[in-house]
Amino acid sequence: MKTNNKKAWLYLLPTIIFVSLFSIFPILRALGMSFQSGPLINLQWTGVSNYQYIFTDPEFWRALKNTLLYAVIAVPSALVISIFLAWSIFSKIRHQSFFETMFFMPYVTSTIAIGIVFRYIFNGDYGMLNFLLRLIHFPAPNWLDDPSMNMTTLILFGIWTSLAFNIVILMGALRNIDPNYYTLADMYGASGNEKFWRITMPQLVPTIAFLLTMNIIGAFKIYTEVYALFNGQAGIGNSATTAVYYIYNKFQMVGTPGVAMAATVVLFLIILVVTFLQRKMMKRIGR
Amino acid sequence: MNEEKFIEVDNLQKVYEDNGYQAIKSVSFNVKKGDLVCLLGPSGCGKTTILNMVAGLLKPTSGDIRFDGKSIINTEPKDRNIGYVFQNYALYPHMTVLQNVMFPLTVGEHKKNKREAQEIAERYMKLTDIMRFSDQRPVRLSGGQQQRVAIARALVQEPKILLMDEPLSNLDARLRLQIREEIRALVKKVGITTLFVTHDQEEALSIGDKIILFNNGIVQQDDIGQRFYLEPNNQFVANFIGNPVIDNFEVTVEGGTVKGSDFAFDQNLLSEDRFKSPLEDGQYMLSVRPENILPVDEEDGQLTETIDDVELIGRECILKFTHDGHQARSLIGLGDRELHHGDVIHLKMALDRVFIFKPNGERVY
Amino acid sequence: MKKINFGLLLVYLFVGIFAIITVFPFIYMILGGLMSFQETTTIPPTFFPHHLQWGNYGKVFAEAPFAKYFLNTLITASVTTIVSLFNSILGAFALTNLRFKGKAVVKVIMLSLLMVPGEAIIFTNYNTIARMGLLNTYIGLVLPFLTSIFYMYYLMTYFGAISPTIYKAAMIDGASDWEYVWRILVPMSKGGLFTVGLLSFISGWNSFLWPLLVTNEDSMRLLNNGLSAFASDAGSETELQLAAATLTVLPILVIYFIFRKQIIRGVVRNDLKA
Repeated sequence: MKTNNKKAWLYLLPTIIFVSLFSIFPILRALGMSFQSGPLINLQWTGVSNYQYIFTDPEFWRALKNTLLYAVIAVPSALVISIFLAWSIFSKIRHQSFFETMFFMPYVTSTIAIGIVFRYIFNGDYGMLNFLLRLIHFPAPNWLDDPSMNMTTLILFGIWTSLAFNIVILMGALRNIDPNYYTLADMYGASGNEKFWRITMPQLVPTIAFLLTMNIIGAFKIYTEVYALFNGQAGIGNSATTAVYYIYNKFQMVGTPGVAMAATVVLFLIILVVTFLQRKMMKRIGR
Repeated sequence: MNEEKFIEVDNLQKVYEDNGYQAIKSVSFNVKKGDLVCLLGPSGCGKTTILNMVAGLLKPTSGDIRFDGKSIINTEPKDRNIGYVFQNYALYPHMTVLQNVMFPLTVGEHKKNKREAQEIAERYMKLTDIMRFSDQRPVRLSGGQQQRVAIARALVQEPKILLMDEPLSNLDARLRLQIREEIRALVKKVGITTLFVTHDQEEALSIGDKIILFNNGIVQQDDIGQRFYLEPNNQFVANFIGNPVIDNFEVTVEGGTVKGSDFAFDQNLLSEDRFKSPLEDGQYMLSVRPENILPVDEEDGQLTETIDDVELIGRECILKFTHDGHQARSLIGLGDRELHHGDVIHLKMALDRVFIFKPNGERVY
Repeated sequence: MKKINFGLLLVYLFVGIFAIITVFPFIYMILGGLMSFQETTTIPPTFFPHHLQWGNYGKVFAEAPFAKYFLNTLITASVTTIVSLFNSILGAFALTNLRFKGKAVVKVIMLSLLMVPGEAIIFTNYNTIARMGLLNTYIGLVLPFLTSIFYMYYLMTYFGAISPTIYKAAMIDGASDWEYVWRILVPMSKGGLFTVGLLSFISGWNSFLWPLLVTNEDSMRLLNNGLSAFASDAGSETELQLAAATLTVLPILVIYFIFRKQIIRGVVRNDLKA
């Protein structure tokens, strides 16, 4: 067989063309545009002014702060809930695949459509959630129209949407654990708690680390959830703005593509660092 | 056309580029038309590498391979006119047996129409006795049946050369004996020149017209079966061939006497005509097949040993003993004498059948 | 006498509550889409509509071109899926079975591109499409998604699991690479290809940001964009919004329930290996 089969390039040609045009070129161009100002049709080189602009723009800092808030609250909460759900279903419930199918539904369904339902449920006047809260004499805030509540609403919605993926991946990892470990533990008389903390958790660590970083990266890319929940706005008075929202706004609405691309580059670098840290972490865990 | 040199492998060499490993150092051999030749050797000796280069699945670093006098070194595998039976059979799991056997006739530039392809395929399926599995998927078949499908598929293009890579290693022991006879009968019936790779000396001895024994990327001996046993080229061949394995005794030759630990004999007792080169003073290895070192009466004995263990193998038994820190064996007929663990025996070597090797493995006697 | 296991009860309660939280929005969406306007705004909230208002769906179709949205979405999701699958098959084959100079470099570049978030390139891609004059066209909607490094890598795990001797056997049997791909590789990886196809179709169906950027004519919108526009336009007519949302979600839910095993297994497989 040939050691240098030139025909391989023919098979890779479609991929290479599309990837160059729509992956490599846009990265380079985004990098270039981040140093340019003006409208799209008349860009001028202006050095690092766009970067200076975004780092002094309170709006950008708010986007980053919101993202951080989301990453620190929504991501771990969703992960803890997912771990307990996955473990409960896996070890205590008979109809595993039924529950798995049910819990995975949000992953395949349109965020926009689900956002409409949540807007209805979160509605301050006639929403189901506030009705239930009042029923048990809890305060019933105005989830959608009160700027101070917007991030809370987004985080709740975020937890709901991210459970699906987490649970399914965790279930997969749980199934991969050799059942002989449990048989052996039973023979030594380990309790359910001991089995969970001494066998299950250590085996799940790589998966949890993977989900944690995937979710954190996901937090930086949030856009559609916000759009869906606040009907095209980033919350009241942009209170729930995110990085991608900021970029979209600067690119499409305000017409300053340079600023948008500077923010893109920053976002890209942050994600790259998180990915890099994940790799290092996974390697250390793998050892 | 030279029938003796139907396949010519000339100075073949293979160095793996990625790690610089020299898998094949320099290998040359010829195969006669219609012969079944076994490429034998321990795992990692390079025999499969050679087969893959003959097939064109691997490119040699240097050297030449000629089929019927024509170099095929730059010919694609599909144009080499070969059939190949893989160790794991490599049957296409999504096709039926018939589709598997037909496949070579339905692809490439020389594809045949469906009816013709099926006719030819069925002819070879009858030959290998797999017609009744025609519509089944390979996974449903036993190892031996899959093997026959693989052979039928290899033969269906009516190649000039059949290459088989350890075709019996995935079968259980009993089936292996049966199939290897079937394979020999089949390739002789078809009259196809066959290269058969195996690590099993018994297999090679039983089916090969000729055996080429490899080790460390070179040919150790290229010969007919019994010569490996009677006339090994070197220490490696002597050690590799034979079951139970050959007994080796370190000896020193000094002033016409061959001295081992605890035994010695006069050099003149060796047969003059069996010397390959003169026996100079120095260190040697004296190798004796276990059936050539037998218990005798005390006064005739060269060695006196205590039996560690007696192992029965069918109608014979192996007496194991330790000499000079190494285990050695004597093979005797069952019932010749009642011997047990701990018994002291006296042994005598048939000096006209022993071999003497230099420390570098070269044979002297 | 058997003692009640409170721990187990707690576990059931926990799973039960979250099961309700997960499924409730879907059920509420379907039921809400069949309520009358009054029923959607009463306190206490209505759960089961008194009379199923099937007319809501009629109104949705009358007020916005949902049939056109369906068609647009179906076309873009299908074309994206088929073409990207085709390209991924060829690329994955080359990277799995063929030996060529530069293969390692190609692999490294592709792997690093895998880490680039789509959100970081989507706006410059919009600009490219705009300059090509492809805004509001099907081609513009699908063009950047006609190849997927992600799916190519995914397929490589399937192709790599096939014994390399199968490829060697095919070469000796006289098959060309092209014949190997379509007569052996593809039929042997049917399951994997099907799963990739499903995942690709679902993500195509649910795409939002890209079509939002490259379409502004109502006739070119995809379902999700149409839906969000409709939700703004329909203002307070919650029952119509919910009916429209149901329309968007239902086809995918049906596909999901039929092929749930393949879909879940597919998601787990590729992400555990990532």
